[in-house]
Amino acid sequence: MAELRLSMTQEARTVLSDLLRLIAPAAARVSVNRANVPDNDEEIAGFWVETLTAQASEEARLLAVAFASAKGNPAIIVLPNEAQAHAFLRALSAVRLALRDLVFADVTDAQLESAEDIDDESLPTEKRHALACYACFGLLQQSLISQLCPEAFD
Amino acid sequence: MAKPKLKPEIKTETLVSAAPKWNVVVLNDPINYQAYVVVAFMSVLRISAAEAKKLMRAIHAEGRATVWTGDRERAEMLSLELQQWHLNSLLEKDG
Repeated sequence: MAELRLSMTQEARTVLSDLLRLIAPAAARVSVNRANVPDNDEEIAGFWVETLTAQASEEARLLAVAFASAKGNPAIIVLPNEAQAHAFLRALSAVRLALRDLVFADVTDAQLESAEDIDDESLPTEKRHALACYACFGLLQQSLISQLCPEAFD
Repeated sequence: MAKPKLKPEIKTETLVSAAPKWNVVVLNDPINYQAYVVVAFMSVLRISAAEAKKLMRAIHAEGRATVWTGDRERAEMLSLELQQWHLNSLLEKDG
């Protein structure tokens, strides 16, 4: 499979990188906390938590490296193979979940699905900023899936 | 004359019961995109895009769907892998 590329403006790269630095530690915690870890077997539960924790820190590292390496304008992230593309998709998902839990906890799922409806002047600047990033991370996922597996779309 | 020894009559019976099956259930998720869920199913469950879309639509319509049924060990592994894709999966005993 040919390498996959994600491009964005240099400004977008800077904004998303800044947000990632803030949210990455929390994203790791959120993804472990959200997991439905079996509670009837201590050994298995321990293995799950260990696995999910290790993955969360790997996802944070992957995103940090990818955004830091995206030079030029447009800034381009290069993913060399399918495994890396899958890991990148999962990492973006973790960040969106963290934003949802930590920043948009008071927003309903329906409102968040139609994000443009809540992107109004009444929202604090930080929240509007986070909302724009949430949408951007989603667009990056969509772009990656369209290259990786176009048949996944209806 | 010696009396013949009577052998006690012993009846044996083997009861075989199948190990219980476990369901891997995935709950609806308003954050991950539908196409993302399809890619996750294709990767974890090793199924085609068409099969993955069918499962994704069932979850979207019903709020949840069983995506795999079988032995416990494999069910646990698949559920963990789905959670590594940040999907909301859980295990339920079948039946």
